[in-house]
Amino acid sequence: MSDISQATQGGTSRLHRLITDPVNIAMLLLLFVLSYLVIWPFVQLLIETLTWGQRDRRISREAVPGEFTWFHWLQATTGPLSGKMLYGPLVNTLKTGIAATIIALLAGGVLAWCVVRSDMPGKRWLQPILTLPYIVPSFAIALAWETVFRSPKVGGQPGVYEALLDVAPPEWLSYGAFPISVTLAIHYFPFAYLLVAGALATIDSQMEEGALISGAGRLMTLRRITFPVVAPAFLAAFILTFGKTIGQFALPFLLGAPTQFHTVATMVYANLTLGLDSLAFVLAIVLIALSLLSIWLSNRFVGKKSRRFETIGGKGFRSRVIALGGWRWPVFAAVAFFAFMVGILPLILLGVQSVMLIDGFYGLENITSHFWLGKSDPEIAFGEPGVLHNQIILGATWNTLKLAFISAVIASVIGLVIAYITVRRAHNPLAHALDQIAFIPFLFPTIAFGAMYLTLFAEPVGPIPALYGTFTLLVLISVVSRLPYSVKTGVTAITQIGQELEEAAELAGASWIMRFRRIIMPLASSGFLSGMMVSFVGVMRELSLIILLITPSTRVLMTVGFGYAEEGLAQLSNALVLIVAVLTIIGELILMWIGKGKMARLREKQS
Amino acid sequence: MSKIYVHNLTKRYGSATALDNVSLEIESGEFLVLLGPSGCGKTTLLRCLAGLETPDDGEIVMGDKVVFSSEQNIMVPPGKRNLGMVFQSYALWPHMSVRDNVKFGLDVLKTPKSVAEERLDEVLSDVGLGDLDQRYPSELSGGQQQRVALARLLATQPPIFLMDEPLSNLDARLRMDMRVELKRFQSTAQATTVYVTHDQTEAMTMSTRVVVMKDGSIQQVSPPDQLYRQPENTFVADFVGMPRINLVKLSAETSHGSVFTNGDIRVDVGWEPECSEIIVGARPEDITISNEASAGREDYEIKTVLPNGPETIVQLTRGETTFLTRVGHEAVLAKGQTVWVQFNSSALNIYAAETGALISPETVKLSEAS
Repeated sequence: MSDISQATQGGTSRLHRLITDPVNIAMLLLLFVLSYLVIWPFVQLLIETLTWGQRDRRISREAVPGEFTWFHWLQATTGPLSGKMLYGPLVNTLKTGIAATIIALLAGGVLAWCVVRSDMPGKRWLQPILTLPYIVPSFAIALAWETVFRSPKVGGQPGVYEALLDVAPPEWLSYGAFPISVTLAIHYFPFAYLLVAGALATIDSQMEEGALISGAGRLMTLRRITFPVVAPAFLAAFILTFGKTIGQFALPFLLGAPTQFHTVATMVYANLTLGLDSLAFVLAIVLIALSLLSIWLSNRFVGKKSRRFETIGGKGFRSRVIALGGWRWPVFAAVAFFAFMVGILPLILLGVQSVMLIDGFYGLENITSHFWLGKSDPEIAFGEPGVLHNQIILGATWNTLKLAFISAVIASVIGLVIAYITVRRAHNPLAHALDQIAFIPFLFPTIAFGAMYLTLFAEPVGPIPALYGTFTLLVLISVVSRLPYSVKTGVTAITQIGQELEEAAELAGASWIMRFRRIIMPLASSGFLSGMMVSFVGVMRELSLIILLITPSTRVLMTVGFGYAEEGLAQLSNALVLIVAVLTIIGELILMWIGKGKMARLREKQS
Repeated sequence: MSKIYVHNLTKRYGSATALDNVSLEIESGEFLVLLGPSGCGKTTLLRCLAGLETPDDGEIVMGDKVVFSSEQNIMVPPGKRNLGMVFQSYALWPHMSVRDNVKFGLDVLKTPKSVAEERLDEVLSDVGLGDLDQRYPSELSGGQQQRVALARLLATQPPIFLMDEPLSNLDARLRMDMRVELKRFQSTAQATTVYVTHDQTEAMTMSTRVVVMKDGSIQQVSPPDQLYRQPENTFVADFVGMPRINLVKLSAETSHGSVFTNGDIRVDVGWEPECSEIIVGARPEDITISNEASAGREDYEIKTVLPNGPETIVQLTRGETTFLTRVGHEAVLAKGQTVWVQFNSSALNIYAAETGALISPETVKLSEAS
């Protein structure tokens, strides 16, 4: 009965099984690679701030490259420049961040209530327009603002404001804390809107009706029932939105740098362009700390409290909309106007600006298609040819699509594999660790993450050549930065696939590769596809992540646009950002289409 | 020949023991049902047989092949064990048509296309899905989905069938029909079948033998009629049978004798058990009631009358003691009425109160003889 040859033929030893299990192999490999791509860069960044660099010899006579020092931290916190380098930007970051968050939350909250709880007309098409500002690059809104409020005092041509009113706008309106807060708020209010709308949708009208029946008035019901129920979500939305604003780089840079108004994020960039790498890294760490703090707060406090309310819903759940009566159309008009102002007008402004021969003069005789179709003309824009003839722009477009596509595919596949490991090996501590590591990039503000990759692969590592300035490095950072999202979509997709579906295939004798290909992949495909599209759009509009890593040969649309904006070539930068905005909107439309597509049939059955 | 041997199988999840030193021999072609309350280890045992779980200790042999042995470090993967399984959820692949679902196993075996197609047609028409083969699982009713799962099992003609509560998702009527069909397919295929269920009617009607499990160990292995008539301990007695068996703890009235009592009632078990504390197990049908008093009968009060179609369940009390009995639907009984009760002493099962194990005149005689 016990035949030793069986052990070698049919069966395998326990250790052999553990080592040859493809899932275990993938898990260990990913753990190793991701540790190197996520944790090590951070450690390296930290070490960099704590050791003397080659360039420091210019600054200090004590500098011994490679030796430990507190110099950079002391320089940033107590040095003569600390006010300008750290404290000023820190105050600016908090100031603009908090102001923007308050505005975003107020606007988002009111709009969410109108859409979710009232009988306002036109909800279906207002909602996508209201999310537009979050879909287009944040940089587009800053450019649109500049188009209107540009002040000749800082150079360049006058904006729409001056052209119309014949008076230069006050400087506080053009640059600094006010425009940064407002544009940040415009960019992030849809984010707050989605969070609050989600919370409002969980309110069961019966709770409110219960209070009304107990004799409470409408105001009391709002104060004692509705508000406490959404409060945790509201607070979470506040902290999460704030956490997002502080990592913004392009927007505060465009509207702040001309008047030397800096946030921590723009200071990281400014210091790096000045060659003060270590100081920039100190600021990057400060930025990471701020981001960690905000996410920790939202999880600790708010996460727990809101989870307690999760019993809401379930059976007999229904949400009654509140009739606005005579206010229906006025409310609609107000919301529609707002949606137009923040969602559509900025794009129109960019479009109009891109066909103006000399910016700042708004007349029919000034209209030109030069910036789109024209060939190089030394008289205009330092001889930069129009978009369609501009080799730099065409190259950048190709690079953008290539980067977004490759990164999206790789990030989605790896995300699905990690999700598979996390879900199916839920009790394995290594699988848990892998899940955690894949989430870490979410905690890094993108500009800080980009700073980390400056030193990563600067020199060859083992068989891998030096990657600085290569397209590969851009793919690498884009993939890693998308992982938290793609793992999340992957987990949702895998969780929907019952384990028995896979076991049935296993019993039929299908290998792991065959099961993944024939069962998991097709069933996860709708989630996988939309996840891939989200990543594609996300990478396409990314600027702050890669701005530090771009070299002339690896330029993408966003960085070229940013470069033109820095040089003051408004028409070209507007044209480029408009292209990216249109591409992202197309991407989002495809996403909506996928979501409603035929694969929905499969998803229904699995739940 | 696909006899299955299970030797001293143990499976632990952390500190919990799901299977505790289980040994079992399953005859070739047998329909063996694993029965027990949820969490008793029946599904774990089935999954260990399938190879979906790796036991911690023990050995499993299928036919003449060791598929698992902790000592010899053998673990044959599920696909190499040559068995088929029907899952509780059916586990149909929602992105494949009925035909592709059934074909998958043949694909894995790299069956030539013409042979595979022929086999598919045969199996699909056998289970009555011949004209639905291009549908997707979501377009089928529960019963049809069940048939697809069955066809998928039958397609590769494995000598061993494993079934994990395959009928629990069907409505009562369909379940009855499918029992008959499952049994038919099993006997045609002559496959050794291990079937998990918590439904005792299913166990009783389909099995050649039933294994009752509790807390990871086997309580009894018997053909269904014996399981019902002679449960080997109070757990099995209580678990099998609907309405449940009457179990009453009694003490010997005299130091030697066949009469036992608990203060409320007296029962003459007809022989002399060795222990003085016993539990009497009386099936509801082993208690007869009469409207007239007679010698040796005690009077009980009727507490509730529960008509249930062909039969009526009656709850009787005497002092603190209650009994359930089963009478024909024609009996006219009222709450509060007094009736006289007789036990069919030859059908009574006697358990030692201390251990809960069955004792019988035979065991007494055996122990006396030795």
